Amino acid sequence: MFSEEGGFLTTSVDAVVNWARSNSLMPMPMGLACCAIEMMGFAGPKYDVARFGSEAMRFSPRQADLMIVAGWCSYKMAHTVRRIWDQMPGPKWCIAQGACASTGGMHRCYGVVQGIDNFVPVDVYIPGCPPRPEAVIHALMDIQEKVRAHTSVATDVRDDSGLIVEPTDEDRRLIAA
Amino acid sequence: MAQDPNTLARELHQTNHTGGPDDGAQIQPGEEKQTLKFYFTPRVGLAGEVKRLREENPHAKAATYNPDIADALRQRFGGAIGEVTLYAGETTVYVSRDAIADVCRALRDEMGFDYMTDMGTIDRFTEDDRFEVFYNILNLSAKKRLRLKVRVDEEDPVVPSVVGVWSAANWHEREAWDMMGIKFEGHPDLRRMFMPEDFEYHPARKEFPTLGIPGSLPLPAREPDGELQPDPFASAHTAEAAE
Repeated sequence: MFSEEGGFLTTSVDAVVNWARSNSLMPMPMGLACCAIEMMGFAGPKYDVARFGSEAMRFSPRQADLMIVAGWCSYKMAHTVRRIWDQMPGPKWCIAQGACASTGGMHRCYGVVQGIDNFVPVDVYIPGCPPRPEAVIHALMDIQEKVRAHTSVATDVRDDSGLIVEPTDEDRRLIAA
Repeated sequence: MAQDPNTLARELHQTNHTGGPDDGAQIQPGEEKQTLKFYFTPRVGLAGEVKRLREENPHAKAATYNPDIADALRQRFGGAIGEVTLYAGETTVYVSRDAIADVCRALRDEMGFDYMTDMGTIDRFTEDDRFEVFYNILNLSAKKRLRLKVRVDEEDPVVPSVVGVWSAANWHEREAWDMMGIKFEGHPDLRRMFMPEDFEYHPARKEFPTLGIPGSLPLPAREPDGELQPDPFASAHTAEAAE
């Protein structure tokens, strides 16, 4: 990357791409129930998710890379949610907002899917009924952390004794940088 | 001079010690026993209460107390009108299944009941006449409310449709078919309301397990263009069903 004075600094492609992706996540609001109200608060001026670059809610799945499933999901709706998820271009992430989206919550009955992770992969679960907008922002920051830890090249991480171990997000972030 | 509303409220409290709709018992002054007070139960079953309410306020509380309409229906339809009950000041008229559409039409055209507020079904879970269909109707101009009930047996859960009388009944009857499995004869479009169209059960019936029938509602595949998942948590279902 070049500076205005004509000098340059070095970085890795992962660091630049992850920086760009993580600071402009475009949420697809899948508002199914009351949690969607908190999701609106999260996007509104008071909690102001524009500070994290995610204020542009995309109502078309083809322009979004983060699906926030807010509220309980019925078996009938599950097919639509999955279809919208399939229409989103990768890389993409998913947040299950609230108890109902995460586990079915208080809706332990025949009509409600007991957790949307039965049919879409979920990256971050938010507890709460409904969660506060701060909790949704926290989930977004977790997603950002996950994006920043993404590496395009597999790299071994060794512990002090030299054994190969599962890299932590912090390790991955350091490798990507 | 009009009566002070505070005095009126105090009098109501003092006279409403027991509060059941047909219980006129009073506590004697000096008696220590305390009883639970039900201030929100309409008191029209008490002797003289209807007359007093009508004199005070013709709109208050007496809207649901309509034995005269029940008498008029009995005079007109005879044996098709069954029991007439009064609970919490509300008149309920039991109507035989074959006459319900005619009774509703007469109520709308001749007695001014031009608004159907609600309609639904009850699973009484009894051997005979298991299901009950109720109609809450309202006469907007006269401010009268009436409840009609029809009982049908589990073996033949068919009720004539009242969509031709109040078109608001359309979706109510579809919901009743979806949830309770009661067929409405003459309904223009009796499809399921909430559950998927190929669902085979009626979930509001009391024998239906809370967590559903395993495999009856498939979930989408985890991969694009994959096969439907028949039942992702069958073990949870069967464990609950066995309890």
